[in-house]
Amino acid sequence: MKKTLNLLLLLLLMASSVTAQRYITKNGYIRFFSSTPVEDIKAHNRQVQAALNSETGEVVFKVLMKSFSFKKALMQEHFNEKFVESDKYPNSTLKGKITNIDEIDFTKNGEYPAKVGGKLTIHGVTNSIKEEGTLTVEGGTVHAQAEFMVTVADYDIKIPSSVRENIAKEVKVTVDCKLKKFKK
Amino acid sequence: MRKTLKIIGILALIGIIAAFLVYRFVYNKPHPDYEKEVAEYTLSAKEFYDEFKNQTVAANKKYTGKMIQVKGELDKVIQTDSLTIGVFVFSTGMFGNEGIRCTLLPKYNQKAKNLSTPANVSIKGLCTGYNDTDVIMEHCSFN
Repeated sequence: MKKTLNLLLLLLLMASSVTAQRYITKNGYIRFFSSTPVEDIKAHNRQVQAALNSETGEVVFKVLMKSFSFKKALMQEHFNEKFVESDKYPNSTLKGKITNIDEIDFTKNGEYPAKVGGKLTIHGVTNSIKEEGTLTVEGGTVHAQAEFMVTVADYDIKIPSSVRENIAKEVKVTVDCKLKKFKK
Repeated sequence: MRKTLKIIGILALIGIIAAFLVYRFVYNKPHPDYEKEVAEYTLSAKEFYDEFKNQTVAANKKYTGKMIQVKGELDKVIQTDSLTIGVFVFSTGMFGNEGIRCTLLPKYNQKAKNLSTPANVSIKGLCTGYNDTDVIMEHCSFN
């Protein structure tokens, strides 16, 4: 009897930990910013899908390239057609792990530094990255914020010579996602 | 001499006008007026979602980056910090509901919030792709 109870308890615990460990959003925000003496270019994406497993530290971000919006329609066209070829490569992803997950207490509100290591895929090219950001735990939400530089050439993105002066070799990526505890 | 000057003057003027037109209509051309754009495809929301789910590559080629009009029963309207989104739900997966998420043009936000869902709607918007759980439509309007 006691054994059965223990087993039941264990199963219950497992079930609760499985359901309580995932945080997700389907409307996270990512911006990139390219700055040169000729011009500044900014693009916003508010359709970012992100998931975080608070036990294993695994994180996944998925971005639809055609959801980036630019101030100038022509830039948006160039970005999709010539630079990232979004017909061929519609998604960008980051699959990784928060390496210091043990230092983050998801049951206690507060701001925690987070180190993320993983694979970033843009334009069909995958590179390993290591970046730092912050996770702010507040009730059932985790607010993930980070800023890092991406070197355009690392992702085999070719900039035509006619606009080479207008586009930075490194663009600044800003991540701002509010993930909610996922309840089935 | 005077004739040459006149020709140069006219050429310069044409040059200036051409530069202005290129600047205005090519370099600074406006974004499309999504509300007035004509849909390239009109189909049921369920069919549209199924195509993406079952034949992602082909559906991406066919629909992504184009204006699409979908008809069907909208399951809910959600509000994020800055967006109002109409959601068609067709399945459930790792991240909960899966279906079509339609971000509305601001002028349709109130209309969406006033809907008593589930409600039969016809929504037109720009399809920006499928992220393995949802098909995303943006700049959407009811019509």
